[in-house]
Amino acid sequence: MKTDDLIDALAAGLQPARPARLNALLLACAAAASVAAVAILLGVRPALAEVLSSPTTWMKGLYTAGLAGAALWLSARAGRPGVDTRAPLAALAAVVGLAVFWGALELLMTPGSERLVDWLGRTWTVCGRNILLVSAAAAVPTFLSARRLAPTRPAFSGFALGVATGGIAATAYGVLHCPESTIAFVATWYTAGIAAAGLIGAAAGRVALRW
Amino acid sequence: MDREAELKRLMLRGLDGDPGAWRMLLTQLRGALTPYFRRRLSGLEADAEDLVQDCLIAIHAKRATYDRSMAFTAWAYAIARYKLIDHFRRQGRRVDVPLEDAAVLTAEHSVEDGVVRRDLSKVLSILPMRQRRLIEDVRIGGFSLAEAAARNGCTEGAAKVSVHRSMKALSASVISHED
Repeated sequence: MKTDDLIDALAAGLQPARPARLNALLLACAAAASVAAVAILLGVRPALAEVLSSPTTWMKGLYTAGLAGAALWLSARAGRPGVDTRAPLAALAAVVGLAVFWGALELLMTPGSERLVDWLGRTWTVCGRNILLVSAAAAVPTFLSARRLAPTRPAFSGFALGVATGGIAATAYGVLHCPESTIAFVATWYTAGIAAAGLIGAAAGRVALRW
Repeated sequence: MDREAELKRLMLRGLDGDPGAWRMLLTQLRGALTPYFRRRLSGLEADAEDLVQDCLIAIHAKRATYDRSMAFTAWAYAIARYKLIDHFRRQGRRVDVPLEDAAVLTAEHSVEDGVVRRDLSKVLSILPMRQRRLIEDVRIGGFSLAEAAARNGCTEGAAKVSVHRSMKALSASVISHED
């Protein structure tokens, strides 16, 4: 096809375009899929009403939801060609930094003999794996939510969407299933699981996010 | 006029659904993208043309990702660079495409424009001033013979003869240069 004809064809029938965003409906699907995956594959904690009213549960949820929010902001910006991504990257780092700092403080104030128990909890061996398991259910709708965008760095955008997926999955996991209640535990093992989701997302993004 | 402002104005009108502005924008971008890709593909003309088309389609399909508060050139350059990297990757080549200032996109166009303009004025300089003005009006400025004649204060017939003679002299000079 000649380039002149192509330009004519593209210009003919041009429709007004509204700004491209992450698809909120698909993100809601990702959250619903995470809740369903936790309920079906891992099981919901007994005495959920009591768990939901405890402040530690909400602290966990706040951290992982904050990570998901910063990662979605990063995904949205990285999906717009030529847009600076330093602000959302800094936000992401700040959320992690705050949790790590707080967790370290908590460990320092814990008597030495209990530190290891506090840090490893009872589930450190399965925490990351479980987060990845739930992420697998949330990954497809999360990645699809960015379809209208145009990531010029597919691996980087894949990392951002992977962290967002991990954050959404970990929020469902932390609130509905995970029995741990120390900040040191969450800052370490949740962060590790979500970071793994980010790395898998980066590898997937190299292929899945090309356009 | 500032090229960035001009392109951005066309882009905004295109986003609002103005096909004329969109056509003009794509045409101008084609002019900017062709030298950009050609230089980076070191003369693979066919590949460059394919990439230009790819890139125009991408700019069309992803126009909703343009943020109205941003510089248009930065957006278009990021897409062009991405398409270039993707092209190398599809060929299985690992080529480092350095991140340049987005202005190269429009600058390369104007450089080439400037070269053509310089060549043109060199060729035209062999003509007497009066003949030169006439031919510039008719062949470059887009005036009709009658308008050009009026602008230069002669009859249409005289203008016609003058333009004809000028063209003859010009082609003779170009041919003798090539020999």
